[in-house]
Amino acid sequence: MTKLLEVRDLHAFYGRTAALHGISFDMDQGSVTALLGANGAGKTTTLRAISGMIKRTGEIRLRDRSLMKTLTEDIVRIGVAHVPAGRGTFLKQTVEDNLRLGAITRHDKAGIAADVEMVYGYFPILKERRTQPAGLLSGGEQQMLAVGRALMLRPKLLLLDEPSFGLAPLIVREIFSILRRLNKEEKVSILLVEQNASIALELADHAYLIETGRIVFAGCASDIRNNEQLRRSYLGY
Amino acid sequence: MELLWQQVAAGFASGAIYACIALALVMIYQAIGHVNFAQGEMAMFSTFLAWQLMQWGFSYWIAFIGAVGISFAAGIVIDRLIFKPVRAGPVLTQIIMFVGLLTVINSVAGFIWDFTSKPFPSPFGANPLFGSWLISTHQAVMIAVTFMLLLYGFFRYTRVGLAMQSAAENPASAKLVGIRVEWMIALGWGMAASIGAVAGLLIAPIVFLEPNMMLGILLYGFAAAVLGGLSSPGGAVFGGFAVGIIENLSGIFIPVVGAEMKLTIALLIIISVLVIKPTGLFSVNQAERV
Amino acid sequence: MTGIEDTASRFRELPFSRGKSRVDRDRLLRIATATGLLGVAVALPFALHTFFIFQTTMVLIYAIAIIGLNLLTGFNGQLSLGHAAFYAIGAYTAAILMEKFGVSYVWALPAAAVICFVFGFLFGLPALRLEGVYLALATFALSVATPQILKLSIFENWTGGVQGLVIVKPDAPAGLPLTSDQWLYFFTLAVTAAMYALAKNLIRTRTGRALMAIRDNPLAARSMGINNAIYKAVTFGVSGLYTGIAGALGAIVVQFVAPDSFTIYMSVALLVGLVVGGVGWLPGAFFGGAFILLVPNVAEQFSKGLSGATYGLMLILLMLVMPGGFGGFLRLISMAPKPSSATTKAP
Repeated sequence: MTKLLEVRDLHAFYGRTAALHGISFDMDQGSVTALLGANGAGKTTTLRAISGMIKRTGEIRLRDRSLMKTLTEDIVRIGVAHVPAGRGTFLKQTVEDNLRLGAITRHDKAGIAADVEMVYGYFPILKERRTQPAGLLSGGEQQMLAVGRALMLRPKLLLLDEPSFGLAPLIVREIFSILRRLNKEEKVSILLVEQNASIALELADHAYLIETGRIVFAGCASDIRNNEQLRRSYLGY
Repeated sequence: MELLWQQVAAGFASGAIYACIALALVMIYQAIGHVNFAQGEMAMFSTFLAWQLMQWGFSYWIAFIGAVGISFAAGIVIDRLIFKPVRAGPVLTQIIMFVGLLTVINSVAGFIWDFTSKPFPSPFGANPLFGSWLISTHQAVMIAVTFMLLLYGFFRYTRVGLAMQSAAENPASAKLVGIRVEWMIALGWGMAASIGAVAGLLIAPIVFLEPNMMLGILLYGFAAAVLGGLSSPGGAVFGGFAVGIIENLSGIFIPVVGAEMKLTIALLIIISVLVIKPTGLFSVNQAERV
Repeated sequence: MTGIEDTASRFRELPFSRGKSRVDRDRLLRIATATGLLGVAVALPFALHTFFIFQTTMVLIYAIAIIGLNLLTGFNGQLSLGHAAFYAIGAYTAAILMEKFGVSYVWALPAAAVICFVFGFLFGLPALRLEGVYLALATFALSVATPQILKLSIFENWTGGVQGLVIVKPDAPAGLPLTSDQWLYFFTLAVTAAMYALAKNLIRTRTGRALMAIRDNPLAARSMGINNAIYKAVTFGVSGLYTGIAGALGAIVVQFVAPDSFTIYMSVALLVGLVVGGVGWLPGAFFGGAFILLVPNVAEQFSKGLSGATYGLMLILLMLVMPGGFGGFLRLISMAPKPSSATTKAP
């Protein structure tokens, strides 16, 4: 399988403070990889570094193309869709306009229209609310909208930052089952950051544990799921 | 009664000018989230550019288009050079940038072209705007309304307009969908500078061209934009006309104070509106999830 | 390798846990600086020519005004383009009391303070719901209205109309070997020191923290039980009080009040002084006051025809280089480079 994403010795900084101290990991095409860890471990920072939103050193390659000298806006155009923590919804715009904004860099009108319908197919509630301002949506609906917007980019790689945050368990299950379908049916590779390790491990193929800016464990999701000692030490369950 | 209608019509005419300035202010506000306090001075400078082009022998309309075009470019340059570096900084710092900018523009204009008033031709031919007031008021109103419709259409129906609004609303998310946020902001500046230039070109025939001609008008335009609610071009236009009419009527009908207090009265009325509706008349009520 | 060991070893690196030496050293430095500055301030009028004493007095006066603005805008987040109005009210209060009622200048100050506090509070109440640029417009209206109201003919008997009022310069109290300029300087210095100390104390206490909480997150402040309305309105009053006292002092020192001295340009100048000095940093007021008094003169000397452009350019360059004003700049250079946060060993 081709390597979709290769990260080598990644350091990331908020101002002068280093938040990542040289992490390295890979992602295969078509896989779901989870980054797990406690609050402040550096998971969100990793995604931000990949998107070019913060200062970083090291090497990040998407299908063998370096992202280090690329601006966020261009990284997005290469095929990395980032759903940030807190959803990043355009609250004043309608649901449908939010989706269209996802496709703002594309020029194929028919393709965009088809993709909007595709997103509605996965998230029917969004179709119901298509003309409402996004700010009025519930947390779960906004999360769906955020994922939908990311899909409009037809991304090679989907970065998801804590999709379960602030959502009721039932909604989280619904969203994660849709993510599984997206991975299998639309062949979207997913890099998933989560505090909710158990649900993340159900979806993921591989997982990395991050602690204070370093990777402390790497392995198959199933291995971690079955290793009780590991789960208890790092994931608290 | 005749007097009343005359004043209302005059109010419409000056209101059209205020509407243009208010539109330019709303334009920049949509792009960067700040009010461009230097808008008046920029408009004045653009008008002087047109005047200079005419001095050099170009026809009125060539000068008009030239000035508007140069203003567009200048707006972009000002943004990239002066405001981009402090974009991430404190709001107050950016406000002081505006103060610096308008001081520079005013001073340079006075230095190059001195402070004596110069007559300026009107696009409507030899008749001054208030001459045959029914007809030329009509023209002024048409211009303002046309602008408004163009802007409304721009924001509502074009991709660039949507991108610009989104970039202003949530720059981080805008970047994440691939919008080149910095260029959206620069574009907003360019557009605002152009609209301001047109406003200046419309007002100069009436008040005569000199470096301080826009001061009073900027204040009214600012008040109009705020009254309308800063987030809607329609509100800006409405605000412009409202301010124009209020200004003229209050000057006549409120005794004791007379013409001196026109601006104060207008502002008082606007503030009263704001106290009732703190974000302006036409602002969309933002439902915010805490 | 575990999280707890990391945390423990990092805790040992923190400055305050190394004993109290660093904290003590900072305090000593601060006291020394303050004493030094005060010493210079006291010696100044004996070394300087009259005009420079006057200028230094004005710097102190502007500093008081800027402190007032800082309390409102810097610490409480309420933008004001209207402080020239408070300055004017203070100035005219002093002028009218002294010239029309023969009140001593010493009592003019508290009177101005009270009146300006009331005005500020009364303005702050309807302004409660306004924010950002909308508040800017409302306060801007204050600046515009003030000179116009002062020029109104119905008030002419009191205000002197367009021509304003002339004030007799008070003499130094009998027995002191000081010129009136020197005396006024010391008087202003004393008032400045007192107002500064008051402001500093205000900021340090719960009140100060409440003000800043309201500035940073009004909703959270309310949910913590802070009464936003009262705090905001009172802060407006206090801010007005400070600038009003500055105005009164200004009137006494300049010996003259006229409506066109107190326009929107002064409000803008005060805002410039605030930002140049450093928003939310009290000592910045002195830098700001010096800036707005001296730099326009410097610009004029540099180029008569382009003095405005020079001033504006200096302002722009200053903001590009020091976006946080002098306060921000000092904070930047005083921060020693942080030790590398990698105090833990690799797993």
